[in-house]
Amino acid sequence: MEKVVGALVLVPWLLALLVFISPWHRVRQFFTFLSLPILTFLTYRVSAGNLPLLVETPNWLNGFVTLYDFLLLFYFLYQGLKFRNFLVSVLSLFQLFLLVWVLKVLPHKEGAELLVDRLTVFMYWIVATVGTLIAFYATKYMEQEDLSRENRFVSVLLWFLGVMNFAVSVNNLEWFFALFETTTLASYVLIRFRWDEISIKNALRALWMNQIGGVAILLAILFAVKYYGVYRFTEILSMKGHLVSMVPLSFLAISALVKGAQLPFHRWLLGAMVAPTPVSAILHSATMVKIAPYLILRLSPVIKGTLLAKLLIITTGFVFVSAGLLALTQSNFKKILAYSTISLLGLMMLTGSMGSPTAVLASLLLILFHAVVKALLFMEAGVMEKLFKAKYIEDIKRLVERAPVTVLFISIGFMSMTIVPYGIFVAKWLTIEEASNFLSHGAYISSIIFVAIGGVILSLLYFKVIGVMTRKREEFVRFRLERLPFVYLFSTVPLVLFTVFGSLFIARLSAELINPVVAQVVGSPAPVKAAGLTLITGVSALYGWQIIGAFLLLLIVPILAYFVHFSGTDRVFPYTCGERVDLTLGTYNFFCVSSIEPFVETASVALFILTLVLGGGLV
Amino acid sequence: MTLALVLTLLSPIIGGFVYGFERILRARMQGRVGPPLLQPFYDFFKLLEKRSLIVHSFHAFMGIMYLLGTWFSLYVLLSGGDILVAIFFHLLSLAFLVVGGFSVRSPYSIIGSMRELLHMVAYEPVFVLAAAGLYLVTGTFQVSEILHSDQLPILYVPLVFLSLLLALPSVLKKSPFDLSEAHQEIIGGPEIEYSGKYYEAVYTAKWIEYVYAFFFVFLFAGGKWWLGALLVLFSFFLVNLIDNVTARFNFRQMVAFHWYILIPLTVINLMLLALWRN
Repeated sequence: MEKVVGALVLVPWLLALLVFISPWHRVRQFFTFLSLPILTFLTYRVSAGNLPLLVETPNWLNGFVTLYDFLLLFYFLYQGLKFRNFLVSVLSLFQLFLLVWVLKVLPHKEGAELLVDRLTVFMYWIVATVGTLIAFYATKYMEQEDLSRENRFVSVLLWFLGVMNFAVSVNNLEWFFALFETTTLASYVLIRFRWDEISIKNALRALWMNQIGGVAILLAILFAVKYYGVYRFTEILSMKGHLVSMVPLSFLAISALVKGAQLPFHRWLLGAMVAPTPVSAILHSATMVKIAPYLILRLSPVIKGTLLAKLLIITTGFVFVSAGLLALTQSNFKKILAYSTISLLGLMMLTGSMGSPTAVLASLLLILFHAVVKALLFMEAGVMEKLFKAKYIEDIKRLVERAPVTVLFISIGFMSMTIVPYGIFVAKWLTIEEASNFLSHGAYISSIIFVAIGGVILSLLYFKVIGVMTRKREEFVRFRLERLPFVYLFSTVPLVLFTVFGSLFIARLSAELINPVVAQVVGSPAPVKAAGLTLITGVSALYGWQIIGAFLLLLIVPILAYFVHFSGTDRVFPYTCGERVDLTLGTYNFFCVSSIEPFVETASVALFILTLVLGGGLV
Repeated sequence: MTLALVLTLLSPIIGGFVYGFERILRARMQGRVGPPLLQPFYDFFKLLEKRSLIVHSFHAFMGIMYLLGTWFSLYVLLSGGDILVAIFFHLLSLAFLVVGGFSVRSPYSIIGSMRELLHMVAYEPVFVLAAAGLYLVTGTFQVSEILHSDQLPILYVPLVFLSLLLALPSVLKKSPFDLSEAHQEIIGGPEIEYSGKYYEAVYTAKWIEYVYAFFFVFLFAGGKWWLGALLVLFSFFLVNLIDNVTARFNFRQMVAFHWYILIPLTVINLMLLALWRN
């Protein structure tokens, strides 16, 4: 079993190497494709085994990781000096200083450095399916962009998957720091990929922002060693109930917030939009930002019910609402997606910090469905960009006339984040019901307000975009599907199918597949049962006929709508009240909201500091 | 279950009568006699005979789906399911109206749809919080159990009831929150491009929405059905009174009113209740 875990980390690296050295496009494509079956199989092997699994590693690996840490930080320092970036250099130096200190105080204890439990395997699944599909998609994307640099691009993506697998299975906090900063490195390399001025600028910004997360982790290690004398996740988790101090936990939480691009650190994720689209897809869905909810879920049994958890709920809930509001002002399709990622990451961490079994179930459902749906949406954004030359909302007007399939996929993606039977809706529903149980605490009552308001803001956002896409001039005279390249279809269709069928069988999915994960994270499973398609929670139920009814209305109908032609009625032009002017129709873009942006940022900075200072007990 | 099905099937007729009664009531408030009670049904049959003009089939189809979606969401509510699910199902029916409105290249229709979404942004959080309030009192989200509970929710959550009451004009597109229809400026909003049979679908869906909206008011009486009926009558009267005496707000004022006045009211009530319970 240890070997399988090792393989999960090393196989993507090996494939990355093969892709990198291979001179032929088809061969590279083949190797990239190979990662999908191999990683899925390996993940299946791990999940079938006995968990949790504590893996002892040889001693030299410890030294190797430390050496790697130094190399990485010196590379960051080099980049900071090379591009004359003050923040990157200073933060690298600070990290080096802290790292030396950490190494000096770190007690050496026997114990497992790797921890593979159900939560880890849950992340493996996402990487093995969504992540590899994106890498495969990227081969075609690069074919249409710049084939000469394809090998670098795709190999970095594959390598990133291995890093991610490694990052979610470490137990030692120092190793976690190394992997955390490696994902920072990977995102830096990927954002910089086009090597123009703006790419480098945004890459450096992503670098220094994530370095703050790294600094927070190092501080967390220092304090954990100082107060508890421990430096492993398992040891921190076992101290539940008699913690000396919350400081290390608050620093870890801050690093999660930074990695999760929560306001005010959201700019790095928005800056990442300058890179080729697969980068956004992989950063938003399978890797990188998903470390944030992962880390919160890891810590949730210890922080549950503490002041830190309550402050985290307020901070992330605030982000959930305000990122949704700011998304309304955007007209770039990818930026809209980015803001909604930030917003939903807030919701994931909010539910994670609530820490009760049902809330954690909601969080896991959100992570899973968000990974799938965001990957799908970004891939479709890439398709629109490459095939239909559409990047902005103005460009996607009347897209339904040219690209009905793409519009259908995007609509399914958007609807799955708001409307009834889909997974993300179910998670939101569970969150509201769970929050209603805790209304006596201020933080929980704020969570219910945030969820209620944030949810409708996102609905407004998505319907706005769907509305622009479905605008049509007249009847379909001749209905024709657009031709999409095979690779694009191959990588998007599975995600669409999962969104649909995963939501249809949401009861079985959450009661049988996700609940064991919840049981291992929290200690007890969530009180949900599946009866056929019906999902029964402790206090109420989502009936199977409701799910099916909603699906009939939502899925069959829009598809049917293409083929329905009412005969015997007359066609007219839209009524314009007698005015004869040229129509250029746009959509609302909510300029008024951008005026609150400075206040939102100030408030979020304040919440960050409050979380750290009050939640961590630094006062 | 059969009762729910029968009620749902009859809801267009009930809604039609309510609408007819409303027109009489409003006329009396304005010192007029008003049309006969059956006027909505006469309109209905007249519309059936009219020649239908449509922009394209997708748009007309969405109008019919709006009717079916609303009907379905009403059944979800009446069949005694989860109240939150019913609220979100209403969003589904709204989706059809909005996408239909967006799908034609007509400025009035598009502005109307966008405002329809703003309506949703305004009133939906109030409804969700009201559901949480009902849960706090009765201990369940299931409509069927709320209707059999011994508690009187309105006694415990009066402010929540008040804010729901004040959110009703926005659900029913009544003044001062009749932005999405706004007959004087955007000539009916999303429904402007419908005509004949297809307009009829949208028209009937609106009747169903009456039943949907007032059923929430009914829930606040818990198991006491007579009190529920009184509450519905009272709120019906009040909504029409407000409709008659106020002028239209703009969308900022609407959202601000719901977010800054109604939501805090609800929250204060919920917090006090939670405090008192502990």
